This record gives sequence, structure tokens and C-alpha cells, in this order.
Amino acid sequence: MKVFKGFLMMLKRNLHVVVMYLAIFLTILVMIQTLAGGKELVRFEAERLNIAVIDRDQGVLAKGLAEYLGNYHDLVDVEDDPAVIQEELFYRNLYYVVTIPEGFEEKVLEQGEKLAVTTVPGTMSTYYVDQQINTYLNGARMMTNAGFSTEETVQELLAAAKTEPVVELLDQNGHGGERPAFSYLFQYLPYLMLAAICYSMCFILIEFRQGDIRRRMLCSAVSLRSQNVQILLGFLVAGIGLWAFCMLIPVVMYGKAFWGDANAGYYLVNSFVLMLVSLSIAFTLGCLIPQGDSADTMVNGAVNVISLGMCFSCGVFVPMEILSSGVRRVAQFLPVYWYETVNEMLAEHAAFSGEQLAEIYKGYGIQVLFAAAIVLVGMAFSKTREREIG
Amino acid sequence: MIQIENLVKRYGELVAVDHLNLEIREGEIFGLLGPNGCGKTTTINCLLALLKYDKGSIRIFGKEMAPDSYEIKRNIGVVMQNVAVFKQLTVYENIDYFCGLYVPEKKERKRLVEEAISFVGLEQFAKTKPGKLSGGLLRRLNIACGIAHKPKLIILDEPTVAVDPQSRNKILEGIQELNRQGSTVIYTSHYMEEVEQICTRIAILDHGRILATGTTEELKGMIKTGEIITIDAISLDERQLAEIRELPHVFELTYEEQRLTLRLSSARHNLVRILTYLQEQDLQFGRVFSEMPTLNDVFLEITGTGLRD
Repeated sequence: MKVFKGFLMMLKRNLHVVVMYLAIFLTILVMIQTLAGGKELVRFEAERLNIAVIDRDQGVLAKGLAEYLGNYHDLVDVEDDPAVIQEELFYRNLYYVVTIPEGFEEKVLEQGEKLAVTTVPGTMSTYYVDQQINTYLNGARMMTNAGFSTEETVQELLAAAKTEPVVELLDQNGHGGERPAFSYLFQYLPYLMLAAICYSMCFILIEFRQGDIRRRMLCSAVSLRSQNVQILLGFLVAGIGLWAFCMLIPVVMYGKAFWGDANAGYYLVNSFVLMLVSLSIAFTLGCLIPQGDSADTMVNGAVNVISLGMCFSCGVFVPMEILSSGVRRVAQFLPVYWYETVNEMLAEHAAFSGEQLAEIYKGYGIQVLFAAAIVLVGMAFSKTREREIG
Repeated sequence: MIQIENLVKRYGELVAVDHLNLEIREGEIFGLLGPNGCGKTTTINCLLALLKYDKGSIRIFGKEMAPDSYEIKRNIGVVMQNVAVFKQLTVYENIDYFCGLYVPEKKERKRLVEEAISFVGLEQFAKTKPGKLSGGLLRRLNIACGIAHKPKLIILDEPTVAVDPQSRNKILEGIQELNRQGSTVIYTSHYMEEVEQICTRIAILDHGRILATGTTEELKGMIKTGEIITIDAISLDERQLAEIRELPHVFELTYEEQRLTLRLSSARHNLVRILTYLQEQDLQFGRVFSEMPTLNDVFLEITGTGLRD
């Protein structure tokens, strides 16, 4: 088993590449999860601004507006003095000051005059206060035109402001209708698999296939068949090792949420098939790229083009639904597209109809076919090159 | 030990090895000498069953050589023309790897690897990767990878190409030492000096055919030239040149740029006779060289072209 051991020894030399890609992968994963984990929404809701309403009208509708805004923001009392207001804004004690003029109902509702507003420059959140004021004014205009009294209008608008819409997500996947967190890990997995496997394996295979090393090995007491089997075994052990390690990540990070998920098995199979595809690409690249001083550069270029190209066009880095139909059509000729198609289905459903199951198996099957076709290309090229060497 | 009979290898229209017959005996350092492209490497590749040949037979250790003759291969060590080692493994790991293709026992292999490292003088570089070795040290590593398993037959295909003189001498001494330790060596080269220096028997190849086989002395004895005399002499005229040409044993004369070169058949007092003539003619002459023919002269006379043409 010397060839196998030699393969593993060289793999050990290339482990730093795998570790590097693993680090990149985990960083991307954590970033994405932080962004997509709903925290942004919470922060937005929690961001109640300190605002002031200077009511020079003191009418029902004006008081209603102040109360309406008080539902969304913290109202701060401030003197009706431009200098004081400027100071409060400067020190960020206030972010928004709206002045309701005398004769508000007549001037603003009937004549369409705009309210005087002073804000902290460059604060995006103040646009939402603008929107809320517009909503109140439009509502008031509509209701008074419809014949409601001012009191009724204010009452209705305040009641509407206090009503929170209830959104219930259709739970199709056992995660309350939301995408399970670990599905992101599987979404980004092709980048890790492709880059780490292709980089580490390519260099090893290129060395093994180098003309004179190949000849030296053919002269040895180990049969060609045994050598090939040992190299294949090395490939599989390395691939399965990386895959198994990658599968530990969701187990460690998400625990029962992952292994208790009804689709965990499907995820494992899908990622295993992806690993086979990555191995096949690494094998073919190793056969195509000649040994020499430029081999490193060629491997770098090829692996970057293949891994990033597939990741950007097949729904890894850019979600599938954002991709244009043209890109999706082209992506169908790439194995990662089928991996992501299955991944999407698994993320969205917990139980599958026969048709959906067929789609999943089709995704697996197409990936396996891609892997086989890619290996055949590599073998054909390898044969041609061996004939040239001979 | 090796019998090659009527070996023919064609590449399309090109006949790379043309009805080649060769016998190599145990304990020899056998040199395959010939210019680039004469068929040396093709012959070696056929010998190692790396190439299918069109006709003929090859027997090693009394058995027919075939791609699956692993028992024969177990006793052969090969040193390729180009350095064939793994860039990612250290010197020790490379030798251990290639030795491991022949010797599965770890303990035995460890001893052999250490011996091989010591043999090629790479003790200081055992943990160094090939990328950090000089050309000469790389060649030594290449040799160590081929001989670590102590084979009975060692085939070295131009192992000194692009090697500095110091490393070259070290390599040549090493080959002689391997031979002394009991290995039969086949050594291919287009450097006649090396072949002349270390080989006990030589075959001269050209256009895939063996032109002559024998020891250095036997090969030199096959040609007419026994001595080459070169004299820096000023202003020899046509009459004097004609008279020199008529001196006994002189069969070829050239006079270019005040330098007289004579080829003579082997005889006693050739040089004395020439110098006496020059003195009698009161001719001035400077440096005088008398050389025995080299393998290049042998090749030149047999093929009509120089070895490095």
C-alpha cells in the first residue's frame, strides 16, 4: 500500500489549503447567518427615534398626529425655539422635529401645505417618520372627505396604528415556514468542496502523472492495476474524509435542529454526491494540467474559474431566485446547479410528494452522471497523453 | 544476464531500434553510447517493458521480460534521464516511497533508505524538499531513489545530463562503487569520456543499430587510427606536406591555421619520426601533442560523423 500511503503523505502536505478554505467557508457562513438570521428586522423595530412635535394648532387633528407618532417613537418635549431645537439635534437628543402650524386642518389637509420638519442630516430612519406622517395625513384627508368627523377620524387612525398585522408563515418544512439555518451551510458547501478538493488533489495527481515518475513507478514491482487502485483509494479516502468533516459542522453548530430534521439524510446524500463531483473535477484537472513550472499557476487559475464560476452561476453565492432565466438555463449544464436545486427543495419542504421525490433523485442522478462524464474526459485525456509519453 | 535478440521498434515510418542484438553479462558496467536520438532510451524503455516493440525478444535473468514480470522488475533499479521525484516530499520520504515499491518491510526499508542517503552523500538534506536542492544534488537524489532497494541490475539513462563536474565525478564514482558491490549496470550516455571512464564494455549505437561492441581497447583496436599527432608549425609548403604525408604509418593529414594534424596507424616511434623530419627541414614548430584515439574517433571512423553531431 505504498502508493496509497504516499498519496496520503502528500495530502497531509496540502492540508493547509483545506484548512484555509474551511476558514473562508466558515467565515462566509457566519456572516451570512448573521445577516439572514432576522436580527436586522429586530434592530429596525427597536429603533424608536426621539422626536418632538411642536403643536401650534392644539386642535384635535394636531393632537391626534402627535399621539399617532407617539405609537412609533419616543416623544420629547422641547421649547419652540430654533436655537434650542438646533442644539438638541446637534447633540442627537432629538432626530426629528415636526412643527404643526396654526390652522393645521385648513392649511395642511385642505390646501395641501407641507409640514415644517427639521431632522438630523443623513439619518435614514427619519424617512420612516416622513412616511408615517404622510400615512396619517392621507388617512385623515380620505376619512374627512368621506364624511367622518375629525374626532372619528383621529380615533380610527389611532386604532389602526395600534393594530399589529399578524403574519403567519405557511409551515411546509417543519421550521415555521422559515428556511432552516443549516440550509445556508449546505448552500455554500459547493465552494468549500470544489476549492478544497480540487486544490489539494490536483497537485498530488499532477505529481503522480508526471512522465518520469509514472515511468519509474511502472518499472517497479507493484502492478499498474494495484497502483491505480491505491491512487483511487487515496482519492476516495481524502474526499470522504473532507465530506465527513464538513458534515460535522452542521451537527456541531445546529445540533438536533440538523440531525433531527426530516431531510437530514437527503442533505447528506446530496453533499456526498457533490463530493463525488468535486473529486471527478479534481481528477480531470490533474490529468489535463501538465507538470512543470507553470502547473501551480494553471491549477490556481482553473480552480478559481471553476469553483467561483459555478458558485456564482448556480445559486451558491447568489440565490437561485435572483438569477436571471438565461443564467439558470446555462447553469443547468453544470453539476452544482442540480445540487442547489435539490438543496432548495430540501430547505423548503419537510415532506415530499412522489413527484418531488423524483425531482430530488433526478438531482442526485444528474450529479452522478456529471461526475462519471467528467472522469471519462480525464481518463480519455490521460490515455492520449500516456500514448504521447510512450 | 540480459539477452536482446533482433529487437525492432518503429514509430510509424521511423525505425527507432533496428534489429538490435545485445548480450550483457553479470557484473559488467555496460555502456550504451551514441548521439542524441540514436535509440538508447527507446532500447532501455523496451528493455523495461515500458514500450511495446514490434519484433524480437528480451530476456532478463533468463526470463522473458513483459509488463507484468514483477519478479524481474523487483531486481531492477532505474534512474531516469530526467529527475523523477515528488516535489512535495522530502529527500528521505522520496527515497522511502520509491524503495517501498520494492521493499514492503518497514524496518528493512529504513535501513536501505539510510544507506542510500549515505551512499549519495545527502545526509544533510534528508529533510529537505527537492525544490531546495541544486541540480547536482537533485541528480544524486534521483539516483538514490533508483538504487535504494539494492537491485541486481541498475539501468541509468543519461544520469549526468546538466550536472556540474564535481557532482558528475561523484555520480560516476558511485556507479563504480555500486558495481563493486555486485550490481550489474547499464549506463547510457552521449558523453564518451564518461563511458570510457567507467564502462567495462561498450556498445556504440547509431540510427537504432549497434555499430560495434567491446571493451574500450577492443573498440579502439577496430579502427585504423592508432595515434593522433598535432603540431603547431609555421609555414609548411605543399612539398613539405606531401613529404610528411609519405612518411610511414601516416594515413591522414590536415594543415589549418598553422596547425598540423596527423592520423597515424599504431606503430612505434611515430612522433620521433615526424619531429626528426621537421628538424631536418629546419622548420620552426611550437606545441606538440600526441594522443591516443578516443571513442569519439572510433565513432567518427565508424560512422563518418562526430559523436556530438
